[in-house]
Amino acid sequence: MNFFEKLQKIDRRWIYLILAISIFLPLAFPFNSRTFTTRPTESLYRMIDSFAPPPDTDPVDHNRAFLMSIMHDASTMPELFPMELAVLRHAFERDIKVFTITWIATAAPLIDLAINTVKEEFATREENPKQIISGVHYVNFGFKIPALYLAMILGMGEDIANAIEIDAEGRQLSSLPAMTNIRNYNEMNLVVEFTGSAPGGAWITYARSRFGTNVAVGVTAVSAADVYPQLQTGQLIGMLAGLKGAAEYEKLVEVFAATDREFSREILRAEMDNPKFALTNDNIPYNFKQARIGMNAQSVAHILIIVFILIGNIGYFVQKYKQKQEVQ
Amino acid sequence: MFEIFSNWVAAFFTLCIFSFLYKDNPFYRFAEHLFVGVSMGYAIPLTWNASMIPNVYRPIFLQHRFELIFPALLGALYIFTFNRKLNWLSKFPIAFGMGLVGMGVPMSMNAGVLVQMRGAMIPIQDINTFLVWVGTVTILLYFFFSKAHTGAYGKIVKVGIWYMMLGFGASFGYTVMARISLLIGRIQFLVIDVVQNTIRFFGS
Amino acid sequence: MKRTIPLIIVITLCFLFAAHTFIPHKISQDFFDWYLDWVRAIAPFSVVLGIMSMTMNHSARIQRKTPNWHYSIVTLVGLYFTAAAGFIWGTQEGTPYMWIFRNVQMPMGATMFALLAFYIASAAYKAFRARSAEATVLLLAAIVVMFGQVPIGVQMFGEGILDVTQWILDVPNLASKRGIALGVGLGMVATSLRIMLGIERTYLGGGQ
Repeated sequence: MNFFEKLQKIDRRWIYLILAISIFLPLAFPFNSRTFTTRPTESLYRMIDSFAPPPDTDPVDHNRAFLMSIMHDASTMPELFPMELAVLRHAFERDIKVFTITWIATAAPLIDLAINTVKEEFATREENPKQIISGVHYVNFGFKIPALYLAMILGMGEDIANAIEIDAEGRQLSSLPAMTNIRNYNEMNLVVEFTGSAPGGAWITYARSRFGTNVAVGVTAVSAADVYPQLQTGQLIGMLAGLKGAAEYEKLVEVFAATDREFSREILRAEMDNPKFALTNDNIPYNFKQARIGMNAQSVAHILIIVFILIGNIGYFVQKYKQKQEVQ
Repeated sequence: MFEIFSNWVAAFFTLCIFSFLYKDNPFYRFAEHLFVGVSMGYAIPLTWNASMIPNVYRPIFLQHRFELIFPALLGALYIFTFNRKLNWLSKFPIAFGMGLVGMGVPMSMNAGVLVQMRGAMIPIQDINTFLVWVGTVTILLYFFFSKAHTGAYGKIVKVGIWYMMLGFGASFGYTVMARISLLIGRIQFLVIDVVQNTIRFFGS
Repeated sequence: MKRTIPLIIVITLCFLFAAHTFIPHKISQDFFDWYLDWVRAIAPFSVVLGIMSMTMNHSARIQRKTPNWHYSIVTLVGLYFTAAAGFIWGTQEGTPYMWIFRNVQMPMGATMFALLAFYIASAAYKAFRARSAEATVLLLAAIVVMFGQVPIGVQMFGEGILDVTQWILDVPNLASKRGIALGVGLGMVATSLRIMLGIERTYLGGGQ
């Protein structure tokens, strides 16, 4: 057996081991890297940012809110959970009313985990601590059974409080301060669905077609390439694509929302290497940079996979060439 | 201390699943079966609290909206699904839920077909819009199987195949990223939540 | 009668809701609100199906002592213990029910999918071959997109890699996915129409 034949028949478990090590090392020893943002992420950021109340308005009375539809369980959490943290952080930094809902039982605790994680970071931070209150700054509509998925999407187009009735804590929605001046999709005019399958499908088909609701998605990278037709037609106003999308959103919130600045590509470029926003800056909580740290490991793993493809193909072509020569 | 213990329980089950990479073994099978049971068991109290209490018990027994007894009885017919003789009764609640499909006809036509067609028929202003138009038309022709893919027509649909290969390549690139991300999440858990927190706890 | 009545219910409701899409009248809206109330009261019973199916399936395995039947005990214990924990101690944060979810269900669910990373790495090495011109184009597009997604790609090839990646996604990828999306869209409309007109009846069981 020659070298290339041996290379072709290497035990798959060695490949597994090399992959595990290549991911472990960048996570154990984080380093700085640049995060470049894409237009679908920027569009979503700007849309959510536009929902912020004017400086002289009480945020509770503001007639703008957006809904996060969390449609995934723990299996796709590594990609989607950092997105949810970043979007929630954006909302809480800019006093934007945010609602959450799920029709998947195993997603319900993920909503609690995401909200509580961000709340804790806000309450315990040294600079400008903030108490985020349920029912005032946000409302978790909670888990609703899957059979009501379409009925509730349509029902919210008429009256959110009537369609949802009670929140995750069993309170009547109509009695909550956060629902002040929020009646239907006219006010809650953005839905961001986080999902590992069929991104935004029902929202686009029903809420957008019937009520003109703005829809955006946070998707696992597997589905990301599939939604470009909807992005081009405007059926989706933005998209966060996998861990990279989460890393991009983290970066935008860090550079703009956390420093109370409006989005600008020029500022983003100017701040690209600012140590204040670097991954090695310990002042940034781990929860708010975990996607960007993950992207370091992603870099190494992508190189590794490409090397695997190249080695595999070199071995294949060398073998093919030799077989041809033997036949001749 | 309890948090460290909990993390180690989670780490144990994580490693049970990972052990399948070496080969199938009793630890993996135990974890796999437990996972299925716990997942279903988890949904039961949640459905009870989030749906049965507010949508059935409270309106009927506390608000005395007795007309809702009828849909509740209709829902109860689900239990006959596994009964050979009375199985037909379980079709009634299913049929009632299927009614919304009617709304899906005009809306799917709008969202899935008309809007996409409109998006494909924008004025050709530059080379990219032209390339998108060519790609869309040739792919649609490729999926038209009533005419043999030979001759000039075969060459045209071949262009569609190249477009699809580029599209599938993009999807594949993204898929690699997705799969790696999931592993990153688990290694982040093992490195940060388990190992580093344990070291910090016993170090302090 | 057993199949006709459910079929009449589906067809009638489908036509009423198709009309409701175009008629924003109060009567139409009231009818929709009434339907919503009924669906809310029917829906919670559907969970019974899952419990019954799992219990019957695994009990049968235990009774018949099929290979690896011991694991069915694990499934049933997991099912009923978790459910009981939720009813006895509640479903709030800090309860045993939530502890089981956080430290048993969540890590296993996440790890199941994480296994796919290893399989895709192994497949990259052993299966992804540029056997034809089409496969070569697919692989090249994949490699460009992979480089374009990660910070190291920009360090190696400059910011141009981002533009090339975006072009692949915005132009050939968009065209290919639109062609497919139109097919899927027409398929969805056709399936809905078949249900609405009573041609598609598989949801009633027993095929056509």
